[in-house]
Amino acid sequence: MSVDARDARVFFVDPGRCIGCQSCVQACTECDTHRGRSMIQLDVLDRARSPQTAPVVCMHCESPTCAEVCPADAIKRTEDGVVQSARKPRCIACNNCVLACPFGVPKMASSLDLMMKCDLCYDRTSVGLKPMCASVCPSQALAYLTPDELARLRPAARPVNTFRFGAQAITTKVQVLVPRGAPVEVIDVTAAMHEPSLGHEVAAEVFDAVLEGADAPEGRS
Amino acid sequence: MSPEAARSVGWGAAATLAVTVLILVGSRNLAHFDAALVAYTFAVLFATFGLAYRYTMWLQRPPTALYWRRGWQAFLQPGAWLGNLASWTTRFASDVLANAFILRRDRSRGVAHLLIMWGCLIAVAITFPLVFGNLHFRAVPGDLSRYEAMVSGFPAFRFEHGSMVGKFLFHGLVWASFLVLAGVMLAVRRRVREQGAGAVQRFAEDFMPLILLFAVSLTGLLLTASYTWMYGYGYTFIAILHAITVIGTFLWLPFGKLFHVFQRPAQLGVRFYKDAGRAGEPALCRRCGHAFSSRMHVEDLIEVERKLGYTYEVADGEVRHYQWICPRCRRASFVTAQSLLWQGTRGGGSLEGSGALPMPRYANPGEGAGPLGAEDAENYHP
Amino acid sequence: MSDEQPPEGSAPAARRWPEPPLELETIRRFGPHRVDARSARLTAARADERLVKTHCCFCGQQCGVQLVVSGETVVGVEPWYEFPFNQGMMCPKGVKRYLQQSHPDRLLRALERDPGSPGGFRELGYERAIQRVAGEIRRLQERHGPECIGMLSGASLTNEKAYLMGKFARLALRTPYIDYNGRLCMVSAGSGNKKAFGVDRAANPWSDLLGAEVVLVSGANVAECAPITTNYIWQAREHGARVIVVDPRLTPLARTCDLFLPVRPGRDTALFAGMLHLMIEHDWLDHEFIERHTVGFEAAAAEVREWTPRRTAEVTGIAERSIVRAAELWGRAKTSFLLHARGLEHHSHGVKNVLSAINLVLASGRIGRASCGYGTITGQANGQGGREHGQKCDQLPGGRDISDPEHRAHVAAVWGVPVEAIPGPGVDAYELIRRIDRGEIKGLLSLCFNPLVSLPDSGFVRQALQKLEFFVAIDFFLSETARLAHVVLPGSLQEEDEGTITQVEGRVIRVRKAVSCPGEAREDWRIVQDLARALDRAAGFSFTHPREIFEELRRASKGGVCDYSGITWEQVERELGVFWPCPAEVPPGARRPAANGTPRLFEPGSWNPIARGAGPFFFPDGKARFHATPHTGPAEDTDDAYPILLTTGRVVSHFLSGNQTRRIGPLIDHFPEPRLEIHPRLAERLGVADADWVTVESRRGSCTLQAWVVRTIRPDTVFVAYHWGGRRSINQVTNSAQDPISKIPEYKACAVRLRRAEGPPEHAQRLEPQQ
Repeated sequence: MSVDARDARVFFVDPGRCIGCQSCVQACTECDTHRGRSMIQLDVLDRARSPQTAPVVCMHCESPTCAEVCPADAIKRTEDGVVQSARKPRCIACNNCVLACPFGVPKMASSLDLMMKCDLCYDRTSVGLKPMCASVCPSQALAYLTPDELARLRPAARPVNTFRFGAQAITTKVQVLVPRGAPVEVIDVTAAMHEPSLGHEVAAEVFDAVLEGADAPEGRS
Repeated sequence: MSPEAARSVGWGAAATLAVTVLILVGSRNLAHFDAALVAYTFAVLFATFGLAYRYTMWLQRPPTALYWRRGWQAFLQPGAWLGNLASWTTRFASDVLANAFILRRDRSRGVAHLLIMWGCLIAVAITFPLVFGNLHFRAVPGDLSRYEAMVSGFPAFRFEHGSMVGKFLFHGLVWASFLVLAGVMLAVRRRVREQGAGAVQRFAEDFMPLILLFAVSLTGLLLTASYTWMYGYGYTFIAILHAITVIGTFLWLPFGKLFHVFQRPAQLGVRFYKDAGRAGEPALCRRCGHAFSSRMHVEDLIEVERKLGYTYEVADGEVRHYQWICPRCRRASFVTAQSLLWQGTRGGGSLEGSGALPMPRYANPGEGAGPLGAEDAENYHP
Repeated sequence: MSDEQPPEGSAPAARRWPEPPLELETIRRFGPHRVDARSARLTAARADERLVKTHCCFCGQQCGVQLVVSGETVVGVEPWYEFPFNQGMMCPKGVKRYLQQSHPDRLLRALERDPGSPGGFRELGYERAIQRVAGEIRRLQERHGPECIGMLSGASLTNEKAYLMGKFARLALRTPYIDYNGRLCMVSAGSGNKKAFGVDRAANPWSDLLGAEVVLVSGANVAECAPITTNYIWQAREHGARVIVVDPRLTPLARTCDLFLPVRPGRDTALFAGMLHLMIEHDWLDHEFIERHTVGFEAAAAEVREWTPRRTAEVTGIAERSIVRAAELWGRAKTSFLLHARGLEHHSHGVKNVLSAINLVLASGRIGRASCGYGTITGQANGQGGREHGQKCDQLPGGRDISDPEHRAHVAAVWGVPVEAIPGPGVDAYELIRRIDRGEIKGLLSLCFNPLVSLPDSGFVRQALQKLEFFVAIDFFLSETARLAHVVLPGSLQEEDEGTITQVEGRVIRVRKAVSCPGEAREDWRIVQDLARALDRAAGFSFTHPREIFEELRRASKGGVCDYSGITWEQVERELGVFWPCPAEVPPGARRPAANGTPRLFEPGSWNPIARGAGPFFFPDGKARFHATPHTGPAEDTDDAYPILLTTGRVVSHFLSGNQTRRIGPLIDHFPEPRLEIHPRLAERLGVADADWVTVESRRGSCTLQAWVVRTIRPDTVFVAYHWGGRRSINQVTNSAQDPISKIPEYKACAVRLRRAEGPPEHAQRLEPQQ
């Protein structure tokens, strides 16, 4: 197998680093293949409790469910493992891929009768440039690194690229970073389905007397 | 040979046979068949086999088969015929005839497509009957200024030599070529000038059809030029060249990008399927409880995924199948799963709260696209 | 500011100043209108584009970017991977900034106030506008003396412009009254740094964050206000750092920090006193460093003796165990980095806050070495450079003191004027407004400053500005403040001029011209030179290129604390930035600065022009200073009438007064209008639900906005972002109390009361969110 410059780098995702700044969203809309539309899925998980945000890009599955359930053969996987956005002449906007993608990635542009999704900035990565979102991401929750860079910049992390959804295991080209010491080879997504978001409970860190004051009718400290 | 392939070969053979019979009947047992066009006829027969074979293969893929079945079911629903026929007509007009959705995707792309599509349609409408021998012209007996069109050997209508009808019939191919050439040039210009188009295109997929259409149109025009202005100079050579380009296009039809001509009408079926879904029961996400699609669509997808060999079944009694989780809850679960692994390494803990699990919201309210935006209400997301 | 408050016990007036006008006509003509990529750039990228390596125009991080330019239009942005600070990273403002350049609101011609014209202004030829401005200034100065003219400038200007503005005010306007909007930004840090270290610059490059065992971030919403710094902090954590965040809100950075200290606004000094108390108690001190390199430890130690964890907890409102844990983490670390920003500095005791933070650094001895650092995160583009070269009211180029005869003589020689020609010290920006209010200053020239949005108690500011006999503003968009001007001169955007900027780490970088000024707009330095010429005071204002200004700046800064004399534009380009101090000459035996200047300050054995080899710090004895910093709360604390604390700040998609970002569609969509963050406990008590309209009132003014009920803020505090003008401006409510030393206003704490509003206010129905 030949290894050229683009194979040397891997897309890593560490959603725990995300600060929700939307640089990725804004940068994605700058791409010439889908100008004005972002392919990044960035959700605020539970703003009432925590500022946690969830950046999700296409994980580029080895056997992509989206492509398999497409009735129009519109989604293709390139030889280098990039699952491309729907072919324009073929996509019939049936929404199968949107519903079936285990990561919830594809977006349906209803007015265009076209599914659009992240294609790993094929225009950039195919000529050796970093994808736009991983270039700009200020927290580097989205990062495009060589193995050497990963080892140097993320000594506490280790990549995993197999995920479990119910009984189904899915392996992807994009890799997720987990703690180096964590004894996981597979990330069980469905097991975390009913877990709440993460953060600090502000009130828990506040001096008790202050809280009592806040609850009192004439409350002040 | 797999059963699917065998079935496809059968359908391919049947379609080829049917076209052959039609040619024989239409040309009155080849009585009006133009022998010079025999190569074309065989190319068409080969293409017919290829198209039928590929179409059948395609229809047997689980998702396509399901959509095919469900699309027709939705269309032929008792009591909805008339309404469906009416909406089919408007949808056919706007999607197929007017390319409205392509124009919305990109104006220049839409204009190029309209030109190429209509050029090809006109050319096909004129040449196919001629090639199959079910259309030919003869002078009206006793009236040298008028022609009579013969369809399958029967006189159909008469027209003046210099009338509009006459001009269209005799020069229609020239006009069609100009439409195609203009469309091809627009398409090439777009592909060369726009980085976006340039980034994802590939030769076989995107330039090959343009080159073929360009060659067919150009050699066809040269034929006209040769006999109109050049006293037939090089006519035979050009005719052979034209034949090669046309035959090449036919042979390539089942394999390349142009196959979308036959796939595309499925879009109309999808619309009826979505209509039926909207009228029926919604699917409620088994994490957040919100409607995110039609129940029919989710159940159908579960069936398709099983046929494809996926095992998204969830042991959790309430969820049962991962397909019952809406896309945004999938994203939230994925991110939460990763974050949980870092607990203990990074600060912060689980923020337990009362009540239902929170529903994630798309971060940028102005970025409507996607399964949360207003734009996607069409796709039945809350 | 007791004169600003009604007597104790009396029922306070609901509104002290009239409500700001809606200005519908002006907004219809001059915006802020939104512009989107889809309308600005209809066709996709073309081959005839070029890339210009420059920097983002917004915050002090100054990320390297490449602007994509087609002809005279900036059409996009491309990461500049080679620039060492951000390596291609950008925040959303940087990504969408290109949309400002071809904006329909852009001022292309000079404007003159004319109530009869649509929007209140008529166009005016540039030359005539210059003549009119010069004529008015001359008329006022002949009648009232030179000191009747004031000037307000800004910290987003290049070093060259900032330098020229200081010189222009002193020599062409001949007034002492110039100050700049860094007064609202970094002055507390600057004063604190000077008092403790003798020099005002982040002590370390950000790369020193790597390897720090503890990173203490105080009053800095890094994720939103300095997003690129996030990666440095996460990387430090990846290398084992523990992260402590001090903030009344659970910011995105605080969400996964190791220790979160939700301090009650205005109590930072108490927190640091409590931590130093514990460090002393447990002897987590670097005695050798304190002995050899500092003075004043005993006084500081005496001051914190009373600050037991219990008392600290009572005052700061932070749980006692968290305070103990913080002191332990900080005290026991071998390497560390302390970062702070406006949350610590925007207080009437901002300098004390900074000094008490520095006490922690000095007591640990962790400074001047790799992975041992301290720094303030500058806010504005040239927050660093803009505060060094003479546009501050009491300062001359090179960080020199305008009252120091030696300093005056040096600069007078460079300028070629007698020493007496340089006026004495002026007053800070807010005091300048007060003098306008009192009628002492009658004419004002302002550029790169939008005081009507950015100054506290904006009702006062508005009525003061309305008293001006003549007000000229230089701006590229008609800002809220410029709407009050008599003449508006069309200035330049950052991408329309050459120059240098000094970013957050003290690194001097190059800003490049991507396009020319459109219409009759001019580079700001040309405009003030044209004014000097029209005033017949052209001597010293005949520069033809920013580079010539930089050459003069080098000479003017030579020998000063902020010494740029050894920096050339070529070197800046070659090294991708040069850290000052970078003197052209050093005495024999002293260490020369490296090719990229001096990235890290206070290294053992380093030389500086004050200590002259006596030690690493910028005092004659070469030693750093501890300061005793007795705790004082906010100037206006809560009481029965106003029982809730209001604190203000920024969001990631907007920049400062929003004059630029509130015109960029995708950034508006990200955060369309201000909302009031409120804890559910408080909301429940007030009967307020999420998205309800609430009125927040102080003794100065009120503002009605939608509630955002979130558990990520202290239950006794509410937060509003300040990027909006008019009736959406939270600065109608904030307090203009200032720090006695730095004169920074107290944006971060004032007393308010809340009530549920009946429904949406008038402006919400008649104006777009960004307007």
